[in-house]
Amino acid sequence: MPGIEYLFAALTPLNIMLALGGVIAGTVIGSLPGLTATMAVAVLVPITFSMEPTSALIMMGAIYTGAIYGGAYSAILLNTPGTPSAIATTFDGFPMAKKGQGDLAITVACIASVTGGLVGATFLLLLAPPLAEIALAFGPVEYFWLAIFGLTLISALSEGNLLKGLIGACLGLLLACVGIAEISADVRFIFGSQVLLGGIETVTALIGLYCIPVLIDLVATPDRHLKVDHKPRGFRFLEALAISWKAKFSLLRSSVIGTLVGILPGAGGSIAGLVAYTEARRTSKNSQNFGKGEPEGVLATESANNATVGGGFIPTLVLGIPGTPPDAVILGALLIQGIRTGPSLFTEKASIVFTFIYGLYLATFLMLPVGLVIGRYAYQTIITVPKALLVPTVAFMTMIGTYAIRNSISDVIIMIVLGVIGWILNRFGFSPSPIVLGLILGRIAEQGFVQAWTIGAATGELWEMFFGRPISLAIIAFILLSLFYPVIRSRFGKRTGEVPHVE
Amino acid sequence: MSNNLQGSLQRDTSTIFMACLFIFVAVVFLWDTTHMLDSDSYVFPRAVAIAMIILSLTLIVWNLVKPRLAKGESLVEASTARRVALVAAMLVGCLAMPWLGFLIPGILTFFLLMFIAMYDQWTKKRKLLYPVIAGAIVLGFYTLFGNILQVPLPVGTLFE
Repeated sequence: MPGIEYLFAALTPLNIMLALGGVIAGTVIGSLPGLTATMAVAVLVPITFSMEPTSALIMMGAIYTGAIYGGAYSAILLNTPGTPSAIATTFDGFPMAKKGQGDLAITVACIASVTGGLVGATFLLLLAPPLAEIALAFGPVEYFWLAIFGLTLISALSEGNLLKGLIGACLGLLLACVGIAEISADVRFIFGSQVLLGGIETVTALIGLYCIPVLIDLVATPDRHLKVDHKPRGFRFLEALAISWKAKFSLLRSSVIGTLVGILPGAGGSIAGLVAYTEARRTSKNSQNFGKGEPEGVLATESANNATVGGGFIPTLVLGIPGTPPDAVILGALLIQGIRTGPSLFTEKASIVFTFIYGLYLATFLMLPVGLVIGRYAYQTIITVPKALLVPTVAFMTMIGTYAIRNSISDVIIMIVLGVIGWILNRFGFSPSPIVLGLILGRIAEQGFVQAWTIGAATGELWEMFFGRPISLAIIAFILLSLFYPVIRSRFGKRTGEVPHVE
Repeated sequence: MSNNLQGSLQRDTSTIFMACLFIFVAVVFLWDTTHMLDSDSYVFPRAVAIAMIILSLTLIVWNLVKPRLAKGESLVEASTARRVALVAAMLVGCLAMPWLGFLIPGILTFFLLMFIAMYDQWTKKRKLLYPVIAGAIVLGFYTLFGNILQVPLPVGTLFE
């Protein structure tokens, strides 16, 4: 194992304390709707300026790891992704909580996050330089096709009505265009309103579309928020471990997907989670239970989003290109520490890099006890707090959390209005997930499309630009497979006597 | 929300209505693109808006050609007044923030939402305990965001 001599340098009492503190702080911040992993790292990064570079890196990695996992709490217990990475966790996490399995969902998410984190860190340790080349191989057109691949997930999210799902995605794509255009800087679709000038922030939309409808329904009846089983059931660790073992291949595949998506600059944990969820659903024997409280769905998304931590560090450390937004903050902190990233970092500053990677392993292992304890506390709090305190607390959290994203009251207004729209659309059978998917992928798709179109038109190779590059063709093949898989499976199922699940 | 669905069946005219609404939204977006001069700005949204119109028309035709019976949602058991009050309280709270700052509208909104979400009796214990907890939560979050996380929360033009 490379750099094994630096393992003990990572395991000093100070580094263990910093990793523990980082994981706790990150988990708590990540669990608050509106406070993303980027924000968690950004607000705590000044603490690291006076530290040794390795200790600083270990703490930042621990905060990042904890924050990505923390997002699962509110996704499972409140149907609100604490961080964008936890979007897909809501699909099965919240239905599990509604059925009285919230504690199990949290433990499953914890095990998955630890597994994903370990896989990501292992890729970082063993394969960082060759994998960093993948990031360079991705041009605008590949990002465009990746976004389109993400949109094929709509068939999995539209709960049986593909047309409504596609319309919802179009709405999301249009909402992503509101504000200032990414390429031309034109002001678009604000209809004279200053409130819309800054566009619709993804996290704002997430909180609005997922959390406000829950609050609207919660306040309307005296029913409890979640079903409660009064028998003490502990952490349900062995039960969650058995579920994870049963879905070990899905867990591993999702972790690898998360690592690879994490390597791509700008893609991030949300796309990793969504892609891993699609693949898990496509290949699972329990695919018909996905979206209704299937633990395998939580396993897939949580392992993938935590794997992006290690994956994202690959281009950050090898190329100096941040894989995910929190990596950009960490990259800035590294420069302040006087560390220049680049291919030579693994040889010239091996002590720092390898100590940090082993520190990442340490933080990931610490996430297991920390995550289980905080998760248990969060679950107990949500199920015991009376509705008259739960509703205003969650509402207040959404308001202050949304405000904190860009220090803008306009964002809070947009969040509430989108929440009402989401609630109305949901009642007419339009699920919020395709809208959110369109909103997230819209910017990536538009930027990739326009840049590829411009390059293709300028070089006179428009068709070759979109359909002549090997990685693009591979992604197109995945898109076609994803779209026609239900038909293929249906035929295969008939031949083997299986009962297929087709949307 | 699917658990709110009731067994009583009704004709799916609501979907047709929603599809018409989506066509209207797409047309508004299309109309707005006519003011743009740079093709980089309008190519993508125009393509999406056209796709949305086509998909909505398909949904309408699908419902007309192959009429299906849709499950209607019942609001009988749920309080619409409380729903409206929740949204109104949140909106009024954040609209007041530029003038009154974050803390006062925050506390008032919290108290208002507490009354809206209250289904139990206001016992003496609750009357004493809940306002104290509410104050602690609001002040706790205010301190966390304003002082620890250094988020510049609005002070309010009346207090500047």
